[in-house]
Amino acid sequence: MAEKMLMRVNLTTGAISREPLNEAWLKDFIGGRGYATKLIYEEVPANTDPLSPKNKLVLALGPLSGSNVPTGGRSMAVTKSPLTGCIACSNTGGQWGAEFSRTGNMFLVLEGRAETPVYLWVRDDKAEIRSAAFAWGMDTDAATDALLKDVGDERARVACIGPSGEKLSKIACIINEKGRAMGRSGVGAVMGSKNLKAVVVRGSGTWTAADPEGLKEALRVGMQKIKENGVTSQGLPAYGTPVLVNIVNAVGSYPYRNFQGGYMAEADKQSGETLAATLLTGKKACYACPIACGRATKVGDKEGEGPEYESLWSLGANCGVVELEPITLANYLCNELGMDTISAGGTISAAMELFEKGFLPVSDLEGGPELKFGSGEALKYWVDKMGRAEGKLGKLLAEGSARLCEAYGHPEFSITVKKQELPAYDPRGVQGIGLTYATSNRGACHVRGYMTSAEVLGIPEKLDPWATEGKPGWTKAFNDLTAAIDSSGMCLFTSFALSADDYAAFLKSGAGRIGSTEEMMKCGERIWNLERLFNLREGLDPLKDDTLPKRLLEEPLPEGASKGMVSQLPKMLPEYYQVRGWDERGIPTEAKLRELGLG
Amino acid sequence: MIRVQFFGQVREIANGNETEVADCPTVGSLLRLLSESFGHDFRPEALIIMVNGRHIAHTGFLETPLQAGDLVSIFPVIGGG
Repeated sequence: MAEKMLMRVNLTTGAISREPLNEAWLKDFIGGRGYATKLIYEEVPANTDPLSPKNKLVLALGPLSGSNVPTGGRSMAVTKSPLTGCIACSNTGGQWGAEFSRTGNMFLVLEGRAETPVYLWVRDDKAEIRSAAFAWGMDTDAATDALLKDVGDERARVACIGPSGEKLSKIACIINEKGRAMGRSGVGAVMGSKNLKAVVVRGSGTWTAADPEGLKEALRVGMQKIKENGVTSQGLPAYGTPVLVNIVNAVGSYPYRNFQGGYMAEADKQSGETLAATLLTGKKACYACPIACGRATKVGDKEGEGPEYESLWSLGANCGVVELEPITLANYLCNELGMDTISAGGTISAAMELFEKGFLPVSDLEGGPELKFGSGEALKYWVDKMGRAEGKLGKLLAEGSARLCEAYGHPEFSITVKKQELPAYDPRGVQGIGLTYATSNRGACHVRGYMTSAEVLGIPEKLDPWATEGKPGWTKAFNDLTAAIDSSGMCLFTSFALSADDYAAFLKSGAGRIGSTEEMMKCGERIWNLERLFNLREGLDPLKDDTLPKRLLEEPLPEGASKGMVSQLPKMLPEYYQVRGWDERGIPTEAKLRELGLG
Repeated sequence: MIRVQFFGQVREIANGNETEVADCPTVGSLLRLLSESFGHDFRPEALIIMVNGRHIAHTGFLETPLQAGDLVSIFPVIGGG
């Protein structure tokens, strides 16, 4: 492939430069998430304040981003997270990554802090820091339109922050093409702390494979599997990710009202099936994606993208809101304000529990609607306040649920791991996903090892969701494969159809650096361990931090198919450390680090 | 009666969201009955089938016993995240 470069922009000095990629890092860490984590590990000093100019934000591509490999258009933001203090890697689809690939760059390293609001205009190998005074304060929809007008090229692609990122909300995200998000861990706040409103890109280059004939064969095999697989060819295109609502509810693991329950009787009213029959106006596909799981929707005269399953649950069931309209409008608001939907819903739901139990006084609402579970009006109002960090409570909500609940003296209502809000599977009814949450390097996360796939959906094989046996080994394998896929520039959803061998074939023929599946999985393991080393360096305490909220360990599910169950994390964690080659305190052993070349 | 719920594309095959059946001793016999009723082969390998929220892989697969009051949920193979 044409040699990609790394572009480095110092927003304090205005210096812009390009440098060749580090071949050894590409071989060891693939690209994307892995390579960028290595860069953050090496270049950001220990104990750096994530919102200080010393922190760096890397917008990264994998070696397959911009290729014709199915879903090969992913990009990601890697930095030290202001929400968790751990490594952050937030991955997005859409078109931005493929366009950035056409500029001839694989990484954009953003350093320092501009004195006044700016945006970066990258055109092929050139970049220009421009004033963003006209766009500061705008939501992501308006800012995207205004920025495209300012560069005078409608075919450019915009990744920008909204008011949430400008206000340094710890749950702010980066939005590209108005509806796709580098969502989790507060990466939008890091961008805001640099006074950087947006990165606008336009390129004229092309992507070429290291071994075009080999890639042709890998594509033939991979595309055939995606076409023949029921998930990637039928379920996801027809119903999008919200197809999961009913099945997760059926197993009794659809978290309800801030994880006070795991079953919602009215779940079908907010399912993918109902969304398709009501608000859906069309499907949306990211770059080079044959699946097209994106949802184009309309509520009244307002149109937008989503909600995805996670957003729908977080703003819906977890806040006790049943109807799709307020959920969808709240989802649009999150996109416009530039806020992670999972953390936004998880924070509102925690505030609702605080309010309903009398720990959040009415006076703090400052005239706003009462934070009652089930209130679509309260949901929309407080999402707006949170996204703008307005008023006493709006400012507190913008900090995420851990800091909110701490401020009101009841940290137990924050359903978080490492201060990041949990996704949409209750780990009391699906045991393995709880282990993923507890040990994920970016705080609670389902896409760091999607055990739900095996435990609920039966892919690649059916595991008993209630059992703990064997789950640590499975979790490690999912962790490592996921790290490799993320670093390649492909979308995780392909893994419903593809095997590790298929990804290795794409990487081997596309990028030319991975020789075998084993080598690729070793890269995944290396990335996972490097992320762990970063977190340990930044103060992670495994004893305190590799755990789940007390509610999930001690309060049995009150109803549904998994009634009576709690998470059995303590049964799984020691074995997980063991299969990882870590000591009993959760620290990678010297032998493991030597084996991975990290010693 | 045994309550049977359908999801995803299975709703199109079954022309509705749910039905009720009587006297089906096992999941296997239920699938045969549904196949006859709807003129479509309810192949277990193409479906996710749960009885009272438990996947039949953990309860005896096609031999999973059914009794009055049970809730059977039938999904197509699905994924997401």
